[in-house]
Amino acid sequence: MLMTQATPSMSATSAPILDIKGVCKRFGGVVVADKIDLEIRGGEILGLIGPNGAGKTSLFNLISGVVAADAGSIVLGGQSLLGLPLYRRARIGVARTWQHMRLFGSLTVLENMLVAPSHYPGESLLRLILSPAAVRRAEAETRERAHVILKRMKLDALADANVNDITFGQQKLVGLARALMSNGPVLLLDEPMAGVEGVAYETMRDIVREEAASGRAVCVVEHNVSFIRDLCNSAVFMAQGRILERGDVATLLESKVLAELYFGH
Amino acid sequence: MEYVASMLVLVGLYIILASSFNLIIGFGGLISIAHPIFFALGAYTVGVLSVQYGVNPFLSVVAGFFVALVASFALSLPSLRISGDYLLITSIGFQLGLLEIIKNLDFVGGASGLGGIPNVVSGQRNLVFAGVSLGLALVVVLAVRALVRGPYGRAIKAMRDDELAFLALGRNAMNIKIAIFALGSGMAGVAGGLYAYYYQYVTPDQFQILQSAMILTMVVVGGMGSVLGPVVGAVLLLLLPEAITFLNLPSAIMGPLQGVIFTALVILFLFLRPQGLIAPAKPTLGGH
Repeated sequence: MLMTQATPSMSATSAPILDIKGVCKRFGGVVVADKIDLEIRGGEILGLIGPNGAGKTSLFNLISGVVAADAGSIVLGGQSLLGLPLYRRARIGVARTWQHMRLFGSLTVLENMLVAPSHYPGESLLRLILSPAAVRRAEAETRERAHVILKRMKLDALADANVNDITFGQQKLVGLARALMSNGPVLLLDEPMAGVEGVAYETMRDIVREEAASGRAVCVVEHNVSFIRDLCNSAVFMAQGRILERGDVATLLESKVLAELYFGH
Repeated sequence: MEYVASMLVLVGLYIILASSFNLIIGFGGLISIAHPIFFALGAYTVGVLSVQYGVNPFLSVVAGFFVALVASFALSLPSLRISGDYLLITSIGFQLGLLEIIKNLDFVGGASGLGGIPNVVSGQRNLVFAGVSLGLALVVVLAVRALVRGPYGRAIKAMRDDELAFLALGRNAMNIKIAIFALGSGMAGVAGGLYAYYYQYVTPDQFQILQSAMILTMVVVGGMGSVLGPVVGAVLLLLLPEAITFLNLPSAIMGPLQGVIFTALVILFLFLRPQGLIAPAKPTLGGH
C-alpha cells in the first residue's frame, strides 16, 4: 500500500505517479470520459481546463472512485485503483477537494482536519477498546500535524471555530487544509479558486506550489485562467469527455480550439 | 412506594431503549424501525436460557446483548451495503417477519408467549429491579457519551454530515454504521433481558412495531443527537400517560389517545423544535 509522504526527491521528470489509460465512462447517452489518457508526475501542477460539462470533475470522480470507470486503467504508484471503493483509494493516496467544499458542518475547523489523516485508528471500535494508548498517540500526532497545516494556511486562530461560522474564502482554505492531512502523493483540486480572492487567493496559490515542490502530483480543475497561468506547469484542455490538447499553459491558452470552445469565439 | 419503584424500572428500561435508538438514528443517522425486535430478542434469549436451561441471570442478559448484536448484522449488512435508505425498508420486514417467526415457534411459547421466567430477586423486588434498571440505564448513557466523544464520535458526526466527503478522506463509513447499529441493538437486547426478568413473562405483542413510535417519540422530544435528550424524553413520555390517567377517561379512549399524543408530539417537535428539548452541543467560536 502506498502511504508514503510525498518527498522532495520526486520531480516532474520522474515516472508518472498517476497513470490513466483509456478511461471511459458514460451515463446513459452522455459520455463524460471518452478514452482519457493522462499522466501526472510528482512535482507537477497540471491544470484541467474546459467549458462546463467537459468532464473535468467527472475525471476527478473517476480517479477518486466516486464513480466507477466503464473501461480503462487508473494506476497510482504502480497500484491499480480500478474496482477499489472510494475510501480505499483515499488510503492509497488520492487526496481531493470539492467544488462545493463539502466540509463537515457540525465540526470545528480543527475537527474537520482531525478526521482526515490517511491513518485514523480512532475510527475502529476494536482498536479503541483493545489499544487505547495507540489511538491516543495517533490522535496526538494528528493534532500536531493539523496545527502545523493550519498555521501554514494562516487558519490557526480559527481552529476552534465552527466551519459554518467562517468566511467563504476561509472555508475554501479549510477544504484544501483537510485534503493536505492525507499523506497521499496525488492532490486533486476541484475549482479551488472559485469565489476566492485577496489573501486567501495568495495563500491558496502559495500552498499549492509548496505541495508540488514537496513532490506531490497536483491536478487542478479551474475556470480562473489567471490562476492556471500563475500556477500550472502544464495543462490539458477537455471538452465533451475528451482531452483535446495538452501542452504548456501559455501555448494552450492561445489555442484556437480552446478559444472557440471555451470562450465561444 | 411500590408503584414509584415499578415506574422507575420502566424509566430505566426506556432510557436504555431510547438512548440506544438515539445512537442509531440520532448520532448515526441510520433510520430503522426495528428497535423493538432487538428488545424482543434480548427478552426471548433470557426467557429461553433461564426457563429451559437454568442459565445464571447475569450470563442470560449478556447472552441477550450478544444475540441482539449478532442478529443486527443480518439486517445491517445486506441493507447498508446497497444504500442507507434500504435500511428503513428492510427494517420493517425484519421487525414484522421476525416477530411472526417468534409467534410460530413452539419452543418460545408461540403467540401465547413464554412464561415461567424465574424470579431472581427475593424481597423488595421492585426496588431491586428499579436500582438495576436505573444502574444499567446509567451505564448505557455513559457508554453512548463515551462513544460520541473523542475520535470515534468525531468520525460519526463527520459521516452523518457528509458521507461522500467522509469516504473520500479514507474513512470506512460502512464499518462505523454496522458497529453503531450492532451496539445500539445489543443495548436494546439488554433492556429486553431485564424486561423478561422483571415481568417473568414475554409475548410477541409486547414488541410490536408501535413500540418504535414510542421510542422514536422519546428520542425526538428529548433531542436527537444529544446524549441526555433521550433520558429527558423517556422520563417525560412515561410520566405523560400517568398524568392522563388522572383525567379518568374510559379505557377505550385511553389507548388511542396515547398514540395520538405521541404522534402529535413528534410532528410538533419536528416542526417547532427539531433539536428537541435538549439541543446537542454545537461548537462555537472560542478558545480550547
